[in-house]
Amino acid sequence: MNAESIKKRRGKLNKNHYGYIFTAPFIIGFLLFSLYPLVYTFYLSFTNMTLMSRSYKLVGLDNFVKLFSDKFFMQSLGNTWALWLSNFIPQIGIAMLLAVWFTSVRLKIRFVGLWRTFYYLPNLLMPATIAVLFFNFFSLYGPVNQITVRAGIINDAIDFFRSTGWTKSILVYVQWWMWFGSTLIILMAGMTSISPSLYEAAMVDGATSGQMFTHITLPLLKPVLVYTLVTSLVGGMQMFDIPYMLTDGRGSPNGAIMTMNVLMYMKFSSNKGHIGAAATVGVMIFIITCVVSLLIFRLLRERDGVEEKRAARKLEGGAKHELWS
Amino acid sequence: MSYGLKTRIYRFLIYIMLIVLFAMCVFPIWIMLVNATRSTAEIQQGISLIPGSNLLVNWNTLTGRGFAISKGLFNSTFIAVSATVLTVYFSMMFAYAIHVYDFPFKKYLYGFVLMLVMVPTQIGVIGFYRYMSYLKLTNSFIPLILPAIAAPGAVFFAKQYLESAIVKDLIDAARIDGCSELKIFHSIMLPIAKPGAFTMGIFAFVGAWNNFLTPFIMISKMDMYTLPMLVQTLRGDTYRTEYGSIYLGLAISIIPILIVYGIFSKYIVRGIAMGAVKE
Repeated sequence: MNAESIKKRRGKLNKNHYGYIFTAPFIIGFLLFSLYPLVYTFYLSFTNMTLMSRSYKLVGLDNFVKLFSDKFFMQSLGNTWALWLSNFIPQIGIAMLLAVWFTSVRLKIRFVGLWRTFYYLPNLLMPATIAVLFFNFFSLYGPVNQITVRAGIINDAIDFFRSTGWTKSILVYVQWWMWFGSTLIILMAGMTSISPSLYEAAMVDGATSGQMFTHITLPLLKPVLVYTLVTSLVGGMQMFDIPYMLTDGRGSPNGAIMTMNVLMYMKFSSNKGHIGAAATVGVMIFIITCVVSLLIFRLLRERDGVEEKRAARKLEGGAKHELWS
Repeated sequence: MSYGLKTRIYRFLIYIMLIVLFAMCVFPIWIMLVNATRSTAEIQQGISLIPGSNLLVNWNTLTGRGFAISKGLFNSTFIAVSATVLTVYFSMMFAYAIHVYDFPFKKYLYGFVLMLVMVPTQIGVIGFYRYMSYLKLTNSFIPLILPAIAAPGAVFFAKQYLESAIVKDLIDAARIDGCSELKIFHSIMLPIAKPGAFTMGIFAFVGAWNNFLTPFIMISKMDMYTLPMLVQTLRGDTYRTEYGSIYLGLAISIIPILIVYGIFSKYIVRGIAMGAVKE
């Protein structure tokens, strides 16, 4: 066999250009259906386009200036953050507690698979259905009022959806209810992938379970925690279905549950159909989410670097110390 | 107090909390299913855990007032199934290319897709609406189905799965036997990756089935409504006091998902973690 035919055969076996062919559908789909609409939304945010009029013109940063002096936008920005944080913190708290219990060798909790299966169930249900369901549960003549009045816990039925506090609490509860099971499963997967030998070694050294949690579990779980935090943030900033359908679609009462995405839809579906203004809200959600997720990555990675250096220095010092003694 | 006794009390308290959480998750769903079979008068008298006998009446009230349930079920199923097929097929293809071939910028391409998982691209929905209405594609299922080709989360999942499932020697052997690349992908890779594709498919299906915002913005024709859009009409005046039929409408929208979950919960629970934790 001469060199040329070997080369030819190798050429036949080298199919790497298929990498482009196989990735092409995704790339084309992404450019057409994700990137272009996104870029176009950015463009629209610089226009005064409405659904009704045919012509429009570029207005520069006018929409953004208006948005920041719009008290509804400021309210929706505050709402979105408050609603997200107040469901995320208990969500990760309960999930962490359950994950520690479920993976504990000492406690030997039974039916772990079954508990998890049921805790995850709410996450799969249609948000539209959940919103209408909880609206019915907490309505003036709904089951919650029936039970509590009859049991004598309260004297008169509460009109939950007229009170800003109650409406916010119900929304936070529903969001927590939908997501704690999912977070639990992810945290548990992270915990079970930590090598048991680390815990065994710590136990031999006489570490308490609290020490093991803060010194082994938490640091090694950090990538998983960052993932949970960022994905929850991305979802939370776009919160729409449940706040939209739980009350009248305008975040009532008094805009208590008007999130940024609800405001975007309100501007889009208003009588005039302010596409430019709605796009501006979308762009703001996009920018806020990206900046904050980037910050989270940056902060956590940098601290990682510092810690590593410190650990390395300690190790060096320790080694020196050993040599000298 | 002895160590054993302390642990036992601790465990007892944990089980109580587990049962409370279990009730919190299951109770609302059970009440909804039961209320779907009870009359409005019964529902107003109080809650019950035992089904009633008013299912047929509720059904007639529900469908009699314009709740086009069979149309909605058909639309939702059609969209969700088509979107699932596209997502699974093209995500597998993309992940396969990244896993098997060596080409310039491959690392950057995959890194970019990973970054997309963390970016709220859905926020471009306003631009998407204008763009689709320019193409005269509003009130069409195309804008609800075709974007499923590019699903970054599914690519991430597929890549994780293929890394553990695909043997490169097998591909080389098939090449020497004269298989084309596309044929290798279809007749060797896809069968091997079936379990992963299946789990991916469930998530893609649930996502498309539950999606509300995109169809809500794109579709205005009543007979093209998807289930979440129909459910949303249950909030309105038409059914104001017909609680039984409201609960029935809600129940119908989630029963398909409950059945899927009842059968495949093991795959689903295992699948969630796969997207998040790197081995």
